[in-house]
Amino acid sequence: MKSSTITAVGIFAVLVILLFLLPQTTRQQLQGALYQWISPILRTGASVQQELGGVRGGLKRLDELERENQQLKLENEQLRATNSLLNNLETEVNRLNRALGFREQSPFKLLPARVISRESATWWNTCTISRGSKDGIATDMAVVTENGLAGKITTVGKDVAVVLLVSDESLRVSVSIEGTQEQGIVSGTRASSNYAPDLRIRFLSKTANLKTGMKVLTAGAGGVFPSGLVLGTVKDFSVRELEGVASVTPTVDLADLQDVFVIIRQK
Amino acid sequence: MIPFFLSLIALIFGSFVFQFFLPPVLLLKGAAILFVPAIYFYGCVSLPFPLMLALTFVTGFLNDLLLVPQAKDHVDYPAGVSVLVYLVPGLIMHGLRPLFLRHRWELHWLLAEIGAALTPFLLLAQYAILSIERTEFFYSNVIVWRIIGPGLISLVIAPCVFFILTPLSHVLGYRPGLPLAR
Repeated sequence: MKSSTITAVGIFAVLVILLFLLPQTTRQQLQGALYQWISPILRTGASVQQELGGVRGGLKRLDELERENQQLKLENEQLRATNSLLNNLETEVNRLNRALGFREQSPFKLLPARVISRESATWWNTCTISRGSKDGIATDMAVVTENGLAGKITTVGKDVAVVLLVSDESLRVSVSIEGTQEQGIVSGTRASSNYAPDLRIRFLSKTANLKTGMKVLTAGAGGVFPSGLVLGTVKDFSVRELEGVASVTPTVDLADLQDVFVIIRQK
Repeated sequence: MIPFFLSLIALIFGSFVFQFFLPPVLLLKGAAILFVPAIYFYGCVSLPFPLMLALTFVTGFLNDLLLVPQAKDHVDYPAGVSVLVYLVPGLIMHGLRPLFLRHRWELHWLLAEIGAALTPFLLLAQYAILSIERTEFFYSNVIVWRIIGPGLISLVIAPCVFFILTPLSHVLGYRPGLPLAR
């Protein structure tokens, strides 16, 4: 064997060992730095995609736009009404909390962000957003849309961050089912993707009487996700040997994620 | 040789980023379109052994940094594992280098198709590592398509990549097994 080959194998082995000895925080920082470095390319790519989408959207017929406008006006009225109702409820809840001697929970601040890329990895479901540490974003912050929970931050660059989406198998969220005492852990499966999300709630009781369409809400356990965020609706429920398992349809359209909000904790 | 090696690294990096904007093929149950393995396998058959190892290191590490979420606590697929995942098929391809050095188009086409056939191995290895780490063997026909699908797509992509990279290497002055151009 040639000496250059032996030297190359030796250097390669040392580099691989060093790589495996790297602390996880260093790997995370390297990932953040790399994403920060490519963020201009991702932003440009996202703009081009948006432009193309805009051209397609502009081809809608006038009557379609008229109908859409009326629909949006109606939704706007409904949202205003709901918002006013929720404001009243929030005041009422705060008053009751104070009355009961509970520590008043800090309000959440939402930071809007734009999705600039959706990673094409086969076994992981992530996306990149246009906000980073300079905007106050840190790891493990929850990411939501107006429809519900989308995921959480895993890696942060200066003005870019990677979001692990709820469709990913490694993201586990403790949830409760609206109108019941049932609680479980929801996560994606390995076959889950943003285009065909396959979410399941595990560790439910075998006697749970879950019906299709019931709302799945975050339970707030673990401290990453605030309680009460909508995650999806129950699709079906089945009983296994030791537990009940429910399939969930996410309320957020993960394949068409464009604008999201990061929940910034205020102290 | 070095300019060609560096251009391969640039192409691999560019392909990783380009793949971000490619939607999966829904017809193949969400299989991804992958350019990186084809470029990497070309590097494995064309470059000498030390540079092939260097290319493996860079490709595997970039793969994990760009595609695998690195959480701060427990990670079931730490950055760097893909270096070993890429190494195995890379060594197989490098073993076929004598065929590449004959510089016959039909042999290059054959090597490209062998590379395409090895592409699912990368995904299968990742799937196996995740299954062991997560102590759960999840199987469905979607999984099969996600592993085989990119290989099927590569059957078309890989020959094109091979036939584009050969002239590029000549332009950059790298002509392995051929007399030096005057």
